[in-house]
Amino acid sequence: MKKAIILITIVATLIACNKSTKSEKIESTSYENKSSNNHDHQLFACSMHPEITGKKGEKCSKCGMELTEPVAHSKLDKNSEEPSLNNTKAKVGVLGADTSVTPLDYVNDIVICYLNLKNKLVKDDSEGAAEKGKILLASFNRLDTKTLDANQKKAYIDIAEDAKEQAEHIAENAGKLDHQREHFILLSKDINDLIKMFGSKMQLYQDYCPMANDGKGAIWISETKEIKNPFYGSKMLTCGSLKKTL
Amino acid sequence: MKNRLKKVGIVLFLVVVAIQFYQPVLNQNPDQDYTNDFIITTNAPSNISKLIKTSCYDCHSNNTDYLWYDYLQPVRMFVEKHITDGKKELNFNEFGSYSNRKQQSKLEAIGKQIKSDEMPLTSYTLLHRDAIINEVQKQELITWINSIKQNSLSEK
Repeated sequence: MKKAIILITIVATLIACNKSTKSEKIESTSYENKSSNNHDHQLFACSMHPEITGKKGEKCSKCGMELTEPVAHSKLDKNSEEPSLNNTKAKVGVLGADTSVTPLDYVNDIVICYLNLKNKLVKDDSEGAAEKGKILLASFNRLDTKTLDANQKKAYIDIAEDAKEQAEHIAENAGKLDHQREHFILLSKDINDLIKMFGSKMQLYQDYCPMANDGKGAIWISETKEIKNPFYGSKMLTCGSLKKTL
Repeated sequence: MKNRLKKVGIVLFLVVVAIQFYQPVLNQNPDQDYTNDFIITTNAPSNISKLIKTSCYDCHSNNTDYLWYDYLQPVRMFVEKHITDGKKELNFNEFGSYSNRKQQSKLEAIGKQIKSDEMPLTSYTLLHRDAIINEVQKQELITWINSIKQNSLSEK
């Protein structure tokens, strides 16, 4: 009996060792799943009673008809003057199923996620940066390339292919701030090109740090005019200069 | 007590024998198409290409030179995991198919990894002594990588 127990334990451990590689893979793709889950948050209204809303498939409490009309949500930051960076998560959950969302809305969403990530790096918060990296990655996956014309699509895929990888690295390297910052250099360049291509809804600044990237210099994008260096954080917070206004 | 130890020993032995039967597909593709290969597309000089092939290709290409103990479990699982991860990160055989932007990022990352001694992995060079990149080779490699890199990070 004891023998059997030992045997089972050993076999189980070995199987577990093997499985662990698989489960890691699942984790890495789960960001993508999350973004598609956003469709679940889409609200539907009754075609007779627009004030009654609920999930798809639910019935109207007044007439019993199925809720079929997708509820249009207000687009990002249309009315607010100041971009409220902290609310991204709530807002991005609404995108996806909304057909009136333009590519610029998606890009704006990506930019906001990037800025959130940048602000974590400014604060030397590696864990926070990793988490924001994950959200940024999801924001890239959310952009529906069908809304882009052929030229935009090509340029976007080129940028996104690289930027997603940088975001993924930042997400996976919590605790290794230096490593995250190396990827942030490349990411910033991608975001800069993305903004160059699609424009931006908010006032942005391109800042330059001559010391970053082993003295080769690197740019970052900021929403504030004031210099707050994400490549060095508290070590050299005000190092850098405003290069241009985007 | 002694008897019990013996039993445990036998069980362990049996398990080790049993897991030998778990042999995932080898990372070997004799028909590999080299048109997108890093060495070919970048036109690497022979000293550089030899260096990269010995030190990087085992985990970052579709063909691994296995050593005899690589076939033994549980070493095999460990090695395969490294190869899968390595190829996911960078596959030299497919380098040419990456977008220009991605190629530039990868070159940047390769240079940094070599410079900071993160690659090749210590766990790899421990047994693959020929894969160790010495200081002179390191400089050669980095200089060459910088030469093929477009000066892309500074803003145009």
